[in-house]
Amino acid sequence: MDRSRTRHFFGISWVVLFTLGLVAPGFSRGAARLLDDEDEKKEEEKQDEKEGEEDDAYFAVVGGDVITGTGAVLRGATVLSKNGVIEAIGSNVFLPEGTETLDAGGMSVYPGLVALNASSRISGGLLAAEAPIVAGRDILDHLNESIGRALGGESHVDTPDNRRGDEIGDWEDLQGEQEAGAKGSKHNDSFDPFSPYMTMALAAGITTADQSGAAVKLKRGEIGDVVMNERNLVSFSWSTENPSGIRSLREKFRTTQDYLDKYRAWEERGNKDEKEPPKKGVDRSALRVLQNRSLARFRANDREDLLGIARFAQEFGFRPVIDGCREGWTVADELGRAGAYAIIIARDRRPKDESLVRPGGSKIENAAILHRHGVQIAVKAFTTSIESMGITGRDILHLPVEAAFAVRGGLSNEAALAAITTVPARILGVSQRVGTLVEGKDCDLIVTDGDILHYQTFVQYAVVSGKLVYDKEKELYFAHIRPRPEGIEDELEVEAVEDDGEEEPPEGDGEDDGEGDDEGDGEGDGEGDGEGDDEDGDHQDDDS
Amino acid sequence: MVGASYITAGLISLAAAQLVSNSEPEGMALVVGKLLTLDESDKIFNPGLILMRGSKLEYVGELREVPEGYEVLKHEELWAWPGLVDLHSHIHGPGRDLNDMVKPLNPELRASPTFDPFEERIEVATAAGVTTLFGIPGSGTSISGFGLVYKTKRSEPSYDNMVVRDPGGMKVAQNFNPQRGAGDVGNTWCGLAFNLEHLNDRVSRLASDDEAELDWQLENLARVHRGELPVLIHCASAEGVAAVVRMWKVRYGTDCVVSHGSWDGWMAAGFAAKHGVPVNHGPRTANMLSTRREDRVVGGAAEYTAAGVPLFSLNTDAPVIPQEQLFLQGSMSARLGADAYHMLRAVTTHPAQSFQLADRVGSLESGKDADVVLSTGDPLDPRSRVEFVFIDGQLEYSRADDGQIF
Amino acid sequence: MTMIPKAIGLLALTVLPSHAAPRGEGGSDLLAIRVGKAETISQGTLEHVVILVEGGKIVTIGEDLLIERGIPILERPDWTAMPGLVSCHTRIGLEKSTSRSFEPNTNPKREVYPRQKVWKELLELGVTTLGLVPEGNSGVPGQAIAIRPYGDTIDEMLLEEDVYLKMNLQSSSSSKAIIRDAFGKVDTYNKKVAKEREKWEKAREKSKKKSSRSRSKKSKDDDEKEGDDKEKEKAKSTEEVPKEFVPPAPDAKVQPFIDLREGRLTAMLSIRKAGDYLHLLDVMEEEEDVKWFLRVPLRTDIDLYEVADRLGEREVLAVLNTRITLQAHSRRERNIPAELARTGVHLALTPESDRMSSYEEWMNDVGHLVSRGLEREKALAAVTQEPARALGLDEQLGTLDAGKDANIVFWDGDPLEPASRVQAVMLEGRFVTGEVD
Repeated sequence: MDRSRTRHFFGISWVVLFTLGLVAPGFSRGAARLLDDEDEKKEEEKQDEKEGEEDDAYFAVVGGDVITGTGAVLRGATVLSKNGVIEAIGSNVFLPEGTETLDAGGMSVYPGLVALNASSRISGGLLAAEAPIVAGRDILDHLNESIGRALGGESHVDTPDNRRGDEIGDWEDLQGEQEAGAKGSKHNDSFDPFSPYMTMALAAGITTADQSGAAVKLKRGEIGDVVMNERNLVSFSWSTENPSGIRSLREKFRTTQDYLDKYRAWEERGNKDEKEPPKKGVDRSALRVLQNRSLARFRANDREDLLGIARFAQEFGFRPVIDGCREGWTVADELGRAGAYAIIIARDRRPKDESLVRPGGSKIENAAILHRHGVQIAVKAFTTSIESMGITGRDILHLPVEAAFAVRGGLSNEAALAAITTVPARILGVSQRVGTLVEGKDCDLIVTDGDILHYQTFVQYAVVSGKLVYDKEKELYFAHIRPRPEGIEDELEVEAVEDDGEEEPPEGDGEDDGEGDDEGDGEGDGEGDGEGDDEDGDHQDDDS
Repeated sequence: MVGASYITAGLISLAAAQLVSNSEPEGMALVVGKLLTLDESDKIFNPGLILMRGSKLEYVGELREVPEGYEVLKHEELWAWPGLVDLHSHIHGPGRDLNDMVKPLNPELRASPTFDPFEERIEVATAAGVTTLFGIPGSGTSISGFGLVYKTKRSEPSYDNMVVRDPGGMKVAQNFNPQRGAGDVGNTWCGLAFNLEHLNDRVSRLASDDEAELDWQLENLARVHRGELPVLIHCASAEGVAAVVRMWKVRYGTDCVVSHGSWDGWMAAGFAAKHGVPVNHGPRTANMLSTRREDRVVGGAAEYTAAGVPLFSLNTDAPVIPQEQLFLQGSMSARLGADAYHMLRAVTTHPAQSFQLADRVGSLESGKDADVVLSTGDPLDPRSRVEFVFIDGQLEYSRADDGQIF
Repeated sequence: MTMIPKAIGLLALTVLPSHAAPRGEGGSDLLAIRVGKAETISQGTLEHVVILVEGGKIVTIGEDLLIERGIPILERPDWTAMPGLVSCHTRIGLEKSTSRSFEPNTNPKREVYPRQKVWKELLELGVTTLGLVPEGNSGVPGQAIAIRPYGDTIDEMLLEEDVYLKMNLQSSSSSKAIIRDAFGKVDTYNKKVAKEREKWEKAREKSKKKSSRSRSKKSKDDDEKEGDDKEKEKAKSTEEVPKEFVPPAPDAKVQPFIDLREGRLTAMLSIRKAGDYLHLLDVMEEEEDVKWFLRVPLRTDIDLYEVADRLGEREVLAVLNTRITLQAHSRRERNIPAELARTGVHLALTPESDRMSSYEEWMNDVGHLVSRGLEREKALAAVTQEPARALGLDEQLGTLDAGKDANIVFWDGDPLEPASRVQAVMLEGRFVTGEVD
């Protein structure tokens, strides 16, 4: 049917591309660099590190249709991992002796998903009681937001940084600061490699989870080096309801920028006798952002806040990460100009503020509109928890469903995949390692029995750092549902005649944004949780 | 090629919209790429033609010549399917008026006074192709009253235009939520059962006695006992499901539908199936990491349907799950092991059939209400966009004209 | 046909004691016990067994031994003998105490009250040895002591002090830091000792070379010394240099960690889940010389089976409580003790809890594990020999072998059968419970 035809089409073009890759070794690597211009160095370093080891461990996923995440679909290709790093991808990959292989014939191979805002139980395991698994995202978010407001725009860093206070210490100290978490990281030390929640996350295709701002690799059965980066996000709050908070934030950035300019000038002059510029008033978080070593994250949804953040970011020349961004579609061009990242929940339905005339509220096309304006879209799950007391389809285990809602709003399938792989990887500062399948990156991938964005698709295998860490048939949770032998062919009857996503219009289809249609603010309880409590939800958990 | 078809689609839709607003045609013809009738024989036409006349479907089937005077909407890239039906919904009015909590038994109450035809959440439901809802009171009391069956029409929002049947059926809460701490009987399942049986025994006797004079407050309950009105019963857990079947089907022989049946309710699926009691499952459709069936994530729908429960349907308990996401209950149930096509029935024909609505909604068959949804693909796929929604033959939503609401 | 050599052997053995102490006069306590079966642990199950006990020790044990005339014989052909039960990690008999987080130099000796009913009750159940631990589920609460539940004073009860150092290790930065810091302090101390030694050596040399001339310069090291050290140094320089190097005394809280490194003390590392074990290895990998055992309290949903193979590879001695658990998120039973034993783990079992009711059910519970797959021999060793090893007392007790303490429990049937009852208990050669005449 259509699917195979399209696959074939892609197949041809990418076979060609891949051949190029063979002809010009290093091509893919180069492509990877282009994609992730930042952090090239680290990639190199990592390479060197790995190469020193003896007894190379080879692992190959063979025969699957490899969706690399860079736009390529390689049919029946092999992904070869050497010591956890992708060594080669293609159809004529030489497998060294002793290579462990996984047959992915008839299945699809995707980069492992990257879950933003994930429950800390994923890496903390059974006894990680500090973060309840059945927690409303909204309670936490609103709490954070209101705390942020109460604090008057004070910045707070999501990383160990914040304990050091705002005044920075030694410049040298800052320079030499460790970027990636290693031994001693609280996320490393509390990592539970046997967490059943981690198994479930892997079953959902997640191989990297955002644990309070730290990018944690879901290695199973081993600890150490699981934290890839825990300093990439610095949180600030911005609310037009709190102008003094905004003023003080601007002041902080200005002072810090001044210091940075003076320091650079001082450094250039190289005059040893001249005193170093004073650090008074310099904000550590702002410094990280201005030095381009961290991304500034704002939780914001309202148009005015989004506008303010976009302009503020342009003023100081950094790219903001906007978590929420509900009314982003109304100011998409500004956000695009600011080079913003947006973390959105595609299906979120919130009416606009009734007292305002201007367009507002949620819009199903939000992701598509923002994307069209150059905003990098990441999709997060409706709730941070693993399960929602039996309500299924909106927890952290259903990232692809959330991404599918973004497609409903007009985002392309490719951008939707990027929204749960490459973009969140960039937001967490780990795109040099994960998010796409290219040579030189970590071999973190999933093997599925179909299109990852299709609601019936299951992850059959998950591979992290070149090791098989999840096998649907061997784990408890989903083995009984469409067992593998039949699973692959057993497509939805309706779907058998379905035109697949391929006939989706090319990106850019859909309504023009804006156009002042007040209809856009579809009413409806975005959050079922909240309302259900006092109503008819069968909430018996407390009873009997 | 793909782009081209979309451009054509756009042009046609523009033309169609004009036609609809301008003249008074004989009827309306929809030409679609795929037509899911959801009728008894599950016919699928590929492509297909729908003729609508007035508020009814005149013809549903393979392509043939469109009679003269019909306005034609041609969308060969779209799928047509019947408007979705949800039997467990609370978005018909404000939440605070949902449940009168003074007395445990309120067979005299109706949801209609709370009905708000302008409710914004209904509009989102329309845009998602949800066209028929049973709007009901809450489950804080054993009998919370009578709900109303209405359509999510937007063009002329009014009680008269929207309501299909009022009272549409009774709402009962068998266990859990109605457990009261009010100092009266009803703090335990025993007490709840007593309250219900005490009243039902009386009314059931009166209902079968033509001579008996009924208190007006019991009139509607008597209609339930006479089988004239269906009853939807909130319950959960295996014991709860079994208790519903025993009381409402075996003992009183009502036209009852188990609602929720959450947690491990599916363990009583065989019993419900044996007595032919339909199950309206949701909003919790997964039994995760919990009791009774070790280590599996159990999809309730898969279990109920495998046990042979007749007319299995799904609900949202909106706003617990937003009304517009009714289809996702089907997708997720299909994900967790149920048959996908069967899950399509579970949001269309099954709820209609199990609630005395089969003559009007739930499938695309000539003579039934013209509630038709056109979408870009599989109704259960979140990626499929709803392009047009017709209710009673009226265009109630057009993505092109109204903007994409959902 | 093998009767004859055995009888000779027995004669030879029995000659000595019978000469040393005239029997019947109260001095000699030589006693032969003939039972139907004996679970020796070390040599498996023996039948028609004679156990000869004297001076609190088992003198000999064997099948169908001839007993020299005149030696009192206790004939109990229906009984089964096994070594006294050893519970190596418990707080039974101790009051609830405040939890200690870092008291490595303490033990619960002072918490023990002799003459409590509980000790007698334990003896009646066949428990002859207990490892008592300090209270505390985090950090390093202190050291364990080994006692016999018998005696009028704590000194009579005490078998051994400082049998192991209990340390709790969990998957968290703070928990790991406690242990790392503790060993870090040993390093600091060692550096200090090394410096002192260096200084002493220099001083020694100088005093050898020029015993008459006094020194005028101080060593360079002094810069790094603390104030009072400097003063000491000054004092020393004027004094005569000692012939033997006397290292400075370590802090009392550092000493146990020095003892750990030098093999004088063993660690009992307590973890709560499988993941903790990997963090334990992460911490302990730098402490190669430290000998440690593992304590894991089994909760209903514990996932310890995840590291069964790794524990087996290392032949870890693991102390678990006696219970069947469930696989997390399931109702699937897991017999973790059995699974671990199969991989090569040295299994030591404690009762399910520290309550007396758990002690009463202990052997029942062990039998339950056996009925669900735990190897019988390993189960029996897990309540005798292995816990004795955990207490460092395996040379002394824990099996029915010549030379071991005569701690023997006599059952009227298979000890693992629920219907079996303890008929008598012998503690170090003396019947402390049971009708024996």
